[in-house]
Amino acid sequence: MSVLADIPWNLILPILGLQLILMLVALIDLIRNQRTNGPFIMWIFIIILLNIVGPILYFIFGRRQS
Amino acid sequence: MKGFGVLLQKEWREQIRNFKLLWIPLVFIIFGILEPVTNHFLPEIMKSVGNMPEGVEFPWPEFAPKDILVSLMGQYQSIGLLIIVLAFIGAISSERKSGTATLLYVRPLSYSSYFLSKWTMINALVLFSVWVGFLAGWYYTSQLFGSIPATDVVAFLAAYSLWIIFAVSIVLALSAWLPTGGVAALGLFLTMIMAILDSVIGAYWTVTPWKLSTYASYILMGSMDYPTFWKTAGLTVFLIILLILFGTYMAGRNAAKTTV
Repeated sequence: MSVLADIPWNLILPILGLQLILMLVALIDLIRNQRTNGPFIMWIFIIILLNIVGPILYFIFGRRQS
Repeated sequence: MKGFGVLLQKEWREQIRNFKLLWIPLVFIIFGILEPVTNHFLPEIMKSVGNMPEGVEFPWPEFAPKDILVSLMGQYQSIGLLIIVLAFIGAISSERKSGTATLLYVRPLSYSSYFLSKWTMINALVLFSVWVGFLAGWYYTSQLFGSIPATDVVAFLAAYSLWIIFAVSIVLALSAWLPTGGVAALGLFLTMIMAILDSVIGAYWTVTPWKLSTYASYILMGSMDYPTFWKTAGLTVFLIILLILFGTYMAGRNAAKTTV
């Protein structure tokens, strides 16, 4: 437990929080839109598994503008 | 300039609906926070994952607070520009392709207000993102490394903003001229690759828009030769106006290529 306590959470938490918001926004948009370039399931994995980059990739390439 | 206000509202609504108003500032803020934090913990990160032999003393460079902002600008020059160019390449060209533009071209709106409304809205969005990102980075830098005078940061941001406006103008003018694929290639070339080329072989001239980001960092460091900077800024403003005129003209000429 001491390892966890040593991490300066006050510095790390804002980054984690913002990443989570970015991921959630991408997921909500994906589920509401349903139509993507490429398979739907693939984009869910990309958004969840790739930090920061995943949602950016989805918004730039995966999202079908209509 | 007929209908400029209405078109601006349309752009605003579009940026909200495709979430650009949310995710672009978020991404810039995340990078703005990450840069000082990773630099602060670099020695510890290297200790735990760097696989260094026992007893090796690596002399870590002492970062001055201003160095962190300059390296954050380096991040924005690569990843940031890539995001800006790719996010807005379709601003006009994909509207032509999808047929949205038909709905606009049949109305009595001038091409200049059509182009300028996009230019204003996208610049506002991108500048907001860059500023918020730098403010977040500035706050973390002052907490972890030491304070930087606000006047220096504001002068630095003002010079860097001019470069961002220039880059957005390039992307939009190209978007009015070419189909989306061409915009991506030429847009990335004219912003990122030209900036790299200019820093590699550009030692023989001093006045180009691609040197603006370097000059912004000189301003932050307090070592800028101001006559050169004002010449560069003047040239950049002139080129931005040319790009706007070119984009307006091309938006009109390509109106016939719209999918109906």
